[in-house]
Order: sequence, then structure tokens, then C-alpha cells
Amino acid sequence: MKKLVLFLLIMALVLPATAAIAQEEPVEGGTFHRGMVISPRGMFNPILYTETYDNEVIVAVYDGLVTINRELQPVPQIAESWEFSDDGLSLTFHLREGVKFHDGVEVTARDVEYTYKTILHPHYTGVRYGTFAVIKGAEAYHDGEVDYVEGIEVIDDYTIRFTTERIHAPLLAEFTYGILPSHILEDVPVAELEAHEFNQNPIGAGPFRFVEFRPDRYVVLEGFDDYYQEGPYLDRMVYHVIDDEARPVYLRQGRIDFVGISSEQIPMVEQLDFVDVFDFEAMGYSYICFNLRQERFDDKRIRQAVAYGYDRQTVVDIILDGYSKVANAPMPTVSWAYTDEGINEYPYNPDRSIELMQEAGWERGADGVWEKDDMRMEFEFIYTEATRAQEQMMMLFQQNMEDIGFKVHLRPMEFSAAVDRIDAREFDAFTLGWGLGVDPDPHGIWHSTSVWNDAGWVNERSDELIEKGRTTVDQDERAEIYAEWQRLMNEELPNVFFTYTVNVAAMNERVQGVDRDPGPQGLFWSEILNQLWIPAERQ
Amino acid sequence: MVTYLIRRVLFQGVPVLLGFTFLVFLMINFAPGDPVTHLRGVPDLDPRVIEDRKAQLGLDRPLIVRYFDWLVELLQGNLGRSFDSARRPVANLIQERLPVTILLSVSSIIIGWGIGIPVGIYSARRQYHLSDYTITFLAFVGVSVPNFFFGMLLLYIFALILNVLPAGGYFGPGEEFTILRMLSYLIMPAFTLGLASIASITRYMRSSLLEVIRQDYLRTARAKGLRERVVIYKHALRNALIPILTLMGFMVPIIFSGAVITEQVFSWPGLGRMAIDATHQRNYPLMMGITLMFGVLTFLGNVVADVAYAIADPRIRYD
Repeated sequence: MKKLVLFLLIMALVLPATAAIAQEEPVEGGTFHRGMVISPRGMFNPILYTETYDNEVIVAVYDGLVTINRELQPVPQIAESWEFSDDGLSLTFHLREGVKFHDGVEVTARDVEYTYKTILHPHYTGVRYGTFAVIKGAEAYHDGEVDYVEGIEVIDDYTIRFTTERIHAPLLAEFTYGILPSHILEDVPVAELEAHEFNQNPIGAGPFRFVEFRPDRYVVLEGFDDYYQEGPYLDRMVYHVIDDEARPVYLRQGRIDFVGISSEQIPMVEQLDFVDVFDFEAMGYSYICFNLRQERFDDKRIRQAVAYGYDRQTVVDIILDGYSKVANAPMPTVSWAYTDEGINEYPYNPDRSIELMQEAGWERGADGVWEKDDMRMEFEFIYTEATRAQEQMMMLFQQNMEDIGFKVHLRPMEFSAAVDRIDAREFDAFTLGWGLGVDPDPHGIWHSTSVWNDAGWVNERSDELIEKGRTTVDQDERAEIYAEWQRLMNEELPNVFFTYTVNVAAMNERVQGVDRDPGPQGLFWSEILNQLWIPAERQ
Repeated sequence: MVTYLIRRVLFQGVPVLLGFTFLVFLMINFAPGDPVTHLRGVPDLDPRVIEDRKAQLGLDRPLIVRYFDWLVELLQGNLGRSFDSARRPVANLIQERLPVTILLSVSSIIIGWGIGIPVGIYSARRQYHLSDYTITFLAFVGVSVPNFFFGMLLLYIFALILNVLPAGGYFGPGEEFTILRMLSYLIMPAFTLGLASIASITRYMRSSLLEVIRQDYLRTARAKGLRERVVIYKHALRNALIPILTLMGFMVPIIFSGAVITEQVFSWPGLGRMAIDATHQRNYPLMMGITLMFGVLTFLGNVVADVAYAIADPRIRYD
């Protein structure tokens, strides 16, 4: 920041004309208006929420031990430093002194202990136990055998140590959960925590203080004056719940400064000369999943034929207007573990599809559809979103598949209904997407024992690599392991990978301190909320 | 009349609502998917968490037991807690949103009837004139245009192009309450929701009045030398309104289902938006609470219509 200020000061001397535009020093005041298309539930509790709209408020109200920067690396927040023990099993956090909750009470290691111990508690009602179960003694505590967690030790007020059963590399990036005030919550029985009114009147140590929540209408936050880092400069930050179709109108009326938009709305928003449009790849991908329990799909050549036969580049270029990327392995390009070395891009090539099918011993029947023994390449294809773009993609898929001798019956379904079929394994093929965490560990989705192994794919080498990746501490070594894993996935295609998720957002140019070249986490995240500001004349 | 009302509520209303809630309960539970489906978004999920969650929500018990539990709670005035992550009481969730939904619905009824009845009368009196044809044409357009489309059209014209009305929502934080500002939020959604009523009431009013105008007693009235104005407004109108009043009962559910869509388009913070969301999430207690309330309102709408019927038509007696 200092360097930038210096640079701007020099610019101001050299180029007085541009200096009038570039405001060098952040000023206090102003309200930042954000839009969201779905109302938060009112579960403003970092360890219990399940929906992203609640989390958008949570990251402003709470700070965690660490947060994740735009390169997806953990950086200090309440913890000013941390170190691993030599055996890689213990992780010690050193907390800053003088960090205050919004009620003025200081944050200590006791609050950190409370936050993470609650996740492991037998009566905990949230979904995050699995993430921290690797902590030593977590299982015994969770099963109610003991009333302490061996692997969580408070050394002093500002030092806390977590010890794991085995080396578990993804763990550090998980210590981002907002720290809860134990002085308010420790007497609340854990089973009753989810229904406690604290969740609608949260108190954290983040840059913004919670003021008011009106369901389906708005959330009001106020800049917290005693914040331990720079800023916050904004007086208030308000989240408005608005209809998705009306987003361009709100932007135009200046009633909101920022909102994520759909690619279809870009032309409309680009006409507004005071609004900037940003796009950035997010952590996620979409895929086509075949039920490999059916013999006809259980041959990688079949899936490769589909990959060659579906013109995914046209989907990205034409249907999605370039606001996406073709995916060929389940690792976002923005992850540090991503590789394109040795990755087959499966360019559109229907002739190659037909060759592959012939190699696999299939023959075209009288109506041009592949047949082999008593099997036939005619199947039902489930999809869930009925957006215009999705409909077009599905039509193209159907057409492309027909060209290579696959007969596809499209079946649009409501999400819950589709998931019922998928969970019961009563499907031929479907398409859905994954939103991913910061750490590239694919265990939760891709290990053969995962609950989400919908395809029913079992591959020893893949399991081996996944295990190795999460028990290796060095990031470069891990990246190599995951590169090999990606090449394996790319060759085997347990799913036909479809596209990477690209998000688009619109921002009123009056808001300063924004990352103008956003990383995977978007325009602002926990790390920079405190740095946002609005020039005095535009407040 | 009073005994009729008591009879109506006790012997008709209660059994109907009981049967209705039971049917709704069965239907929403038989719909595919369940309230923990959305946990699918959590990649690192421990499989035990899903089972634990189901048990916490009581979903591991038989359907019939769950219905009777719900009923017993209901008799104690308890609608249960919502199944979403915040687990807030259903009664609170409804209470927060009911006033704005009622404001919207009542406004749209006033618009529908306030415009529909006079236009219908006018149309009937000018039967087969150009203005009658125009009104008839417009009424058909009004009935045919989907709510959401008309709403989007209004948004496009008044919010995006002319920029004179807010693009939806209802009172931002810190906004002071004034009648004028309330109207600025209310007018577009109320008209959107009222459009179909205006159109259909115009049509009903027109045909009902035309029917009555041909009656003998009106010929008598005219023969007595009464002015046309008196003939229509004093003698014909009251009788012509009777069938319209029955409509009122039917219209309550139509207006509430219309509100579901209109509220979505205008980000109106009412029950409709919540109802859609609860359905997608398979939030059983919330769905039960909302449908129960719509059921009660529909029933009350019918009772009010019947009472109005008796008041307007002296031939009708309920005793």
C-alpha cells in the first residue's frame, strides 16, 4: 500500500491532470451497497452456517486465525504467525495481542479453543466435523468417550497448539473459521447453539460490526472503530436482497454499488459508464457423470469418445460468450496445484470418437446408434438448471452425441428430485457442478470411499495419489503429486469434465480499494474488506 | 347468521383444514428429495453428518407419527422450527412477512375491484360500441398476460427507462416511512398482481349487468319514467353485484398464488418468496406453516363472500 501511495504521489507531481482522478489517500465515511439475489437465512455463525449468503456477512463480521489471499495462500489475521513442529504433526498459532471483539472483550486463545472444540463436540449440529476429525483425540471427544480434545492445547492467552493424528496438509487452510466469543457462548449447551439468538445478533472481531438483519430485505453492518488492522474506512456496509433479473436496474439507479451478474446481463451493464464489469475464474467446475456401474460406460474409451464428440469450445465461445473455460481435469486453473503439462485437451473431433468406439468393439445398429452384445448407447441425461444457456448446451450435447451415434434423452429435473435419483444410483448420466475449497485436496469428492463418488469409480492409483497428496507437507511436492493425479484423471475421465466456473461481477467505480484484477475469490474477500473506501465527494 | 357462522367454522372449516393439512403433508413428503439434499454442496462431508442431521430434524421417524406430532404442536399454537440452517421458529418467519404480503394483496384487490367494477359497468352500458370492444379486447389481454411478464415490463419502463420508481424491494435501511414512499414501492407490484383481477372482474361485471338489465323489473323501472342513471345504479347494480361477490371467495387463493410470482419479480419481502424457497429446500415445517395459513385465509375469504352474499341478496338466508 505504501509503495502504491508513493507512486501515486510522484504521479501527482508529474501529471497534475491525472492526479485529479486518482485519489491517493483513503478517506473515511460513506456506505457501500451490495446486492445479493438470495436472502441470508440469519445463521451468522461461522461454524454453523451452510449457505454462501450467510457467509458473505460472516466474513465481514468475524476474523479467523488466518485468511486466504488471492494466491490462495494462508495469510495472518488474528494469528500473527504460526509454525509446524518438525514432525509436521503440530501446528502452533501465535495470536496478536489487543484484538477486540465488537463488545470490547479481548480475543484470546480460549476463544480459539472454544470455536474449534465446539465443531468437534458430540452435540454439534453443523457439518464441519469431518474437516477437523483428524485432530488428535477428536474422535474420542466426538463420540463422548472423553470430555477433552487431546490435540487442542492452550499454551497461554496468545498461543494455541493443534496436533493431528497424522500429517494432514490441507488443515492449515481450514483455520479460516471466524473466532467466536467464548465469554458469550460457553454456557450455551452445544445442542442449543443453532437455535440461539446470538446467530442473528453476531459478535465477532472482524472489520464490521453487525447492526441489523431484516430477512428478505437487507443486512446492515457498521465499520468497527477498534479493528486491529488498517481501516475500516467505510461507515457502513449494507447488503440488499434484490431480484436477479433486476440487477442491472439497481446498478443503473445507483442503489447498489456491487453485485454478481449473469453473463447475459453483461451487455446491459456495460452500457453504464460508471460501472465496471469484472470476470474471474472461481474455484469450481462442471462435469458430466456417467454411471460406471453400467457395463456400457465402464470403458474409458467410451468417455473419451464423448469428450471428443462434444464441442465444448463452442459452448464456451458462443453459448457462454467466452465467460468460461473448457475443463479437462478436476483442478481449477487458478489453483496452485493446476497443471496443463501432459493434459489431453480432447479438442472437438467426432471422427476420433467414432474410431474409439470401434476400437472398443462397438458397431452401429440400423438406426446409427452404437450396439455391442446386448448393450446399446441410448441413455437418459439428467440436468437441473433451466437457464437459457443451459438449455442451449443440452441441445448441442444431444445433437453432437447423435452425430457420433449416441442417442441421448434429455431429462430436465428439479435439483432435489435429481439428487434423489443420483443418490439412489438410478441414473444413466447427469451433469452438475462442484464448488471447491481453497486446498486442492480432492479426497472429499474423488477418493473411492467418498460419499460423493456418484460415478462409482474405483482406481487404486488415484486413491494412492490422493492419500499421498494430503500427507505431504511441502507445497511443491504436493503440486507434483496432484499433477500426476490430474494426468490420470484426464486419461481415465471418470467424469467427462466440462467447464470451469467463471464469475462476473459489476462494481460502481466510486468504490476504491478493490482488487481490479480479481483472483479466484472475487473482488474482495475477508483480507481487503477493511481497505475499501469511497472518495468524499461521492459518498 | 351467528349460528351459521359457528356451524360453518366448526363443522366445515376444521375438518376441511385437517384433511387439507394431511394431504399437503403427504404430498410434500412424497416429493422427491429431502431437507438435507442441499448438503450435497459440501465436498468434505462426513457421511454420518447426513444421518445425524436427519435424526436431529426428526426425519428418521414414520410419516404418520410426524404428522400427528405436528398436529399436537399446532394445537398448542406451535408451528415448529424451520429446517434451514438458522432453525428459526416458523411462526416468526411468517409473522415477519405476513404484513407486507397482506398489504400487497389487499392493494391489488382494491385495484382489481376499484377499476374492474366501474369499467365493467361502463362496458355493459356501451354494449357493442367501439369502447366496449376496446375494453373487452384489453380485458382479454389482461387475463392472458402472465404476471411476471407484466411485472418485468413495468420494471423496464418505470425503473430502467424512466427511472421514476424503485426497481423493487420495500423500504431500505434507515429510510423514513412516508405514505408517498410506500406507494412508490407498492404501486408496480400491486398493479402487476391486480391486472388479472381488473380484467376478469371487468368481464364478469359486464356480463352480470347485461343479464340484469334485461330483467322485467328494470323494464318496469324504466316504464315508470325513472332516469337511466337511477335504473342502473339503484336497481340493477345491486343485483348484478351478487355473482361478483361469490368471486371474492375464489379470488383469495388466486391472489395469493399470484403474489408468489409477483413478490419474486419485485423482491417484495413477503410470504411468496419464502414459499418458493421453502419448496425448493423441502423445508417441511415452513411449507406446512405457509400452506396452513393460505388455507385458513382461503376459507375465511369464502366465509366473507357468503356473508356478503346474504347481505346483498335478501332472498338468501342461512338460518
